[in-house]
Amino acid sequence: MSIRMDQIHPIIAREYDYFMSEHPHWSLTKGDQDLELVAHALRVLLHMKTTPQHLSEYLALVDCQHADGGWGKMSSNKESAAWVTAFCSLMLIRGNLSLHHPRIGEAVRKCVRYFLETQKEDGKWSDPSWADLDAVSHPISFFDVLLAVGKRLVDEPTLAKVKDSWRKGMKFMLDRQAADGGWYDPEFHPTGVEITAHLIQDSIVADLLLGNELNVAECCRKGVRKLLSVQAADGSWDGENVDHTMDCCRSIMLVCSVLNMRPECDRAIERGLEWILQQKCEHGWPDFPGMETNLERTCDGLDALLKYKAYSQPVATAIVKLWGYAA
Amino acid sequence: MIFLAKAAEIPDGARKLIQVNGISVALFHHEGRFYALNNACPHRQGPLIRGVLESWGEGPVCAVRCPMHGWKFDLATGDSHGRPENATVYPLIRQNDELYIEL
Repeated sequence: MSIRMDQIHPIIAREYDYFMSEHPHWSLTKGDQDLELVAHALRVLLHMKTTPQHLSEYLALVDCQHADGGWGKMSSNKESAAWVTAFCSLMLIRGNLSLHHPRIGEAVRKCVRYFLETQKEDGKWSDPSWADLDAVSHPISFFDVLLAVGKRLVDEPTLAKVKDSWRKGMKFMLDRQAADGGWYDPEFHPTGVEITAHLIQDSIVADLLLGNELNVAECCRKGVRKLLSVQAADGSWDGENVDHTMDCCRSIMLVCSVLNMRPECDRAIERGLEWILQQKCEHGWPDFPGMETNLERTCDGLDALLKYKAYSQPVATAIVKLWGYAA
Repeated sequence: MIFLAKAAEIPDGARKLIQVNGISVALFHHEGRFYALNNACPHRQGPLIRGVLESWGEGPVCAVRCPMHGWKFDLATGDSHGRPENATVYPLIRQNDELYIEL
């Protein structure tokens, strides 16, 4: 490893201090917020292991859940949308592993009902803001976590429905992988980079940790190799896109750990992270090199460094926990 | 009416990000026409100035695709063709070599 932990640790500490100084801009306890940003922020708390100090943030998310179990783009929105609901659901189920709060448990059960009721016949969920493959990936990720660490939250008949729904959603994604290992959507993701990075880490690879029912190892291996093949010489992905480069690094870290592909992937991950570190603003990260800092990207940057820290540990399961696929 | 740029500074095929009254305006010069859009994609505020110019289907290139999550907008109207929100387009006024917009 060419990136040393004694380089990473001070950056994590400084950026977490900055993130906390921005609390009024991401906390639901301070008013109406963009829930995708809130979910990114709650993931930072989870991975910094500070969740137990922030119960009020999780309860505030429960407070703005709609009667149908979903959330909208903004906490004040009245209409539910699949993608943001999945991200919020994931943060609640994972947060409650340490918070053990009955209101959060009940909110998670409402999330389960929302996804069971809104899945389409062909296995997808629809969200006009996102590609179908993205919109299906995150609910499946929520079900992955439920099946891995949260089975006790629901009764047996509901669990059986979740399993059926999960299979249909997984099939929707697996059937759409291109021969080169990537996933593409002509309307949203012509290059396929971000969607491929999302799918293999956020949903598909979990099958290998849940009993390998669907035999996805080769599909994930091809996905990783597709990402490796399109990394730029400077270490970035997708036209110097900071978000997508962070996504690719995180995705490859998880999947290559699960599939024992580290020798093939280590250098690409390091080059990606070196590029990410070079793009840092004084505080946080921008969307593209030279732009001003962006709070959501800063959450992603912290998350990428925390995952690299876990990736660097000798215990392979350390990184799996940061996706919630193990307790 | 607010001054944006001198037309000669932006040759055909080029683009420029300009700050006007605290707003980031993405100015595109494409096939002889200038287009001015709010730089922030209405989806997740991605920078449209870094977007790829594309067509709708088989037609001529007349749209910009956000580099963050792929929303696509008509350069002239901001229409997203079915996404929940459209991009903000500013009417351009050309006086000799100078470009102005109405905010």
